[in-house]
Amino acid sequence: MAFTTSAAAEEPENPYTSGIDVRMGQRQFQSKCTSCHGLDATGGEEADGPDLTTGSFQHGSTDADLYEVIRNGVEGTSMRGLRRAEDQEIWQLVAYLRTLSGAVDLASLPGSAAAGRAAFERLDCGSCHMVQGRGGRLGPDLSRVGERRDPDELAEDVTTPDAEVSPRWWTVRITRADGTVVEGLRMGEDTFNLRLMDGEERLLSFAKAAVRSVERILESTMPAEPLSDEERDDLVAYLASLRGNES
Amino acid sequence: MRAVGWGVAALLVLAVQTVTAQDTSGDGMPLLSPVTWERLLNSDDEPNNWLMYHGALHGQRFSRLDEIDRENVGRLELKWAHQIRQLDRNQTTPLVVDGVMFITESPSNVTAVDAATGRAYWRYEHPLPDGIRLCCGRNNRGVAILGETLYMSTNDAHLVAIDARSGSLLWDTEVADHTKGYSKTAAPLVVGDTVVTGVAGGEFGIRGFIDGYDAATGERRWRTYTVPGPGEPGNETWAGDSWRTGGAPTWLTGVYDPELDLIYWGAGNPAPDWNGDLRLGDNLYSSSVLALDRETGKIVWHFQFTPHDVWDWDAIQVPVLADVELNGERRKTMLWANRNAFYYVLDRESGRFLLGAPFALQTWAHGLDESGRPILRENVFPTTEGTRVAPMAGGATNWWSPAYSPRTGFLYVNSFDAEGIYYQRDDEYEEGSIFLGGGHRMPLAADHYRSAIRAIEATTGKIRWEFPITPRTRSGVLATAGGLVWSASVDGYFFALDEETGEPLWRMSLGAAPHASPMSYAVGGEQRIVVAMGNVVFVFGLAEE
Repeated sequence: MAFTTSAAAEEPENPYTSGIDVRMGQRQFQSKCTSCHGLDATGGEEADGPDLTTGSFQHGSTDADLYEVIRNGVEGTSMRGLRRAEDQEIWQLVAYLRTLSGAVDLASLPGSAAAGRAAFERLDCGSCHMVQGRGGRLGPDLSRVGERRDPDELAEDVTTPDAEVSPRWWTVRITRADGTVVEGLRMGEDTFNLRLMDGEERLLSFAKAAVRSVERILESTMPAEPLSDEERDDLVAYLASLRGNES
Repeated sequence: MRAVGWGVAALLVLAVQTVTAQDTSGDGMPLLSPVTWERLLNSDDEPNNWLMYHGALHGQRFSRLDEIDRENVGRLELKWAHQIRQLDRNQTTPLVVDGVMFITESPSNVTAVDAATGRAYWRYEHPLPDGIRLCCGRNNRGVAILGETLYMSTNDAHLVAIDARSGSLLWDTEVADHTKGYSKTAAPLVVGDTVVTGVAGGEFGIRGFIDGYDAATGERRWRTYTVPGPGEPGNETWAGDSWRTGGAPTWLTGVYDPELDLIYWGAGNPAPDWNGDLRLGDNLYSSSVLALDRETGKIVWHFQFTPHDVWDWDAIQVPVLADVELNGERRKTMLWANRNAFYYVLDRESGRFLLGAPFALQTWAHGLDESGRPILRENVFPTTEGTRVAPMAGGATNWWSPAYSPRTGFLYVNSFDAEGIYYQRDDEYEEGSIFLGGGHRMPLAADHYRSAIRAIEATTGKIRWEFPITPRTRSGVLATAGGLVWSASVDGYFFALDEETGEPLWRMSLGAAPHASPMSYAVGGEQRIVVAMGNVVFVFGLAEE
């Protein structure tokens, strides 16, 4: 059948990928895109534009898909196309977006992914973290962490876990009306309710009005294991390799 | 006996007709009588209707309906809902006129539905060209009405007049050229036989203005620029030619005082937003309120909340007009909780500053001087490395309506105690392109910061209570004569608070964030409460006992 000769082969490749193109794309991004997608492209605080740094995009993740969305927008959403832009400007934007996510050359990292995987097992990271459907629930699922975090961020994550804790991984300590205390990870909090996962991975829901007090603990529950530089680099190499693939 | 019986029946029919023709439906009675200027002037006297964006010319967003009160609010139930077809932000405040509701939809459409059932009469879709410049979504916040004609802003910067009975287009006037970055999102304001309206585009280096149009023909009667040109007072507050691209958009509906015959309207940020070096000076009338003469649009007075604004703190809030007692004297005042975190009381006759106090976290000013001008702290301007300042760019509050209750004397304001990091960048104006001169981000997730509905005592600026919200709110507030304050939060709750204490008395999880301000009306003698959340307009009323 004719169509099996691969649409991908016919998809245009980005002809503008040099360092200068990336910088021009960044300027375009800053002038045209940040009001919805945020200054660092991780999503708009006020205008709800999606995070563009994860490496996967809702409307297709090939260069051609990105070109199409930037050129023509997405019908029925706030994403409008840059219909009057030059081709080159759009390709430069695509080139810039590519630098925001997972474009790390794994071979260039100092550590060994295989050794990192061994360290991950030795340190029992899987008791809290899930990778490819195996592991615990008391820390972020790391199956695609290599797409979300760059190597510097991963190094910080493994050495100083308290440096940046997203509100999803805060601990909440609740004192019930009868004085008993429950702690758990903050799965959801709104004006009236709190939803937690406790240390035994049970889901708990509380009405704020029915408890005596609610205390937030902003530190990570992850132990800061002393790591040698080599272990750190190996772990980073392993985590950077986790991109939804079997590893 | 028989003849008498018929007579009684005929009288009953007449009586029913008289009582219900204004606001019921389902019984075949005619609905939608013309909305005269007289009716708009006295809209407080017909609380079964919601005749303009703010509910009344004074902008208080207070409903005199009191059927739903603190005792029975627990019996609230969903009566019907209207789903909006476009997936976008839903910023509408519907109007209700004698049993017919007008709901605007993204991007620039309006639907007329039966206010009792939510079922449609007609729908008007405004055709839009490609390439419209919008900073913040394809929004529309509502229509205005005069006689039997609706007036609506469209994203391509037009003002359209639509027949309220049929949905037919009556006239279509281009207010500004959308390819230059102008757009329109706000409900117009009818004043006499003039339709007053503003523009958006502060992120595109437009030159803002407020216009008055002949309601019958759509011809422009006057235009008042919010950035004065050469030879006009205030032009000297813009270095060089920076006034040409000075922004100061006017993207929210203003108010009108019939006794003083003045229109009041807020103006937004100067352009570019974050690089003040490209527009040295106070940059009048950006981030200011203007008082305009009704007939000519001429500026009678102005008050600038944030001179030389480099934080994007548009004075795009509702000028709330209230007569209050200050130092033993009854004063005609304007109450204003600004995006810059200060609450202001102004004399609305002269524009003189009477009182000011912060109502939310702010780290940019030591306070206000006796003229109301901020006394700046050191190192608060954006830099290339970033400057951390509270409030964040979205503000301590924003365009979402506050509510003022004459029952309590409190101004109820949605507020956010967050910081932003402000960056300055070089920028060059290019017609029709984004012109920001920098950027902004929050240093921490919104969950780190406090957000609340706050009850500000109008005459002192003191916060009498607050209702904390997690993580924050993007909703306006409605106050009703049943002693209730209504608002919503981004976690998807719509709720009612006790006007005196802030105690939550009722809530419902509607599952999506609000971007609008609630309103109230009555149909068939029953009060309704309306809120737009997610892509839905929800209509609540009391369940039968």
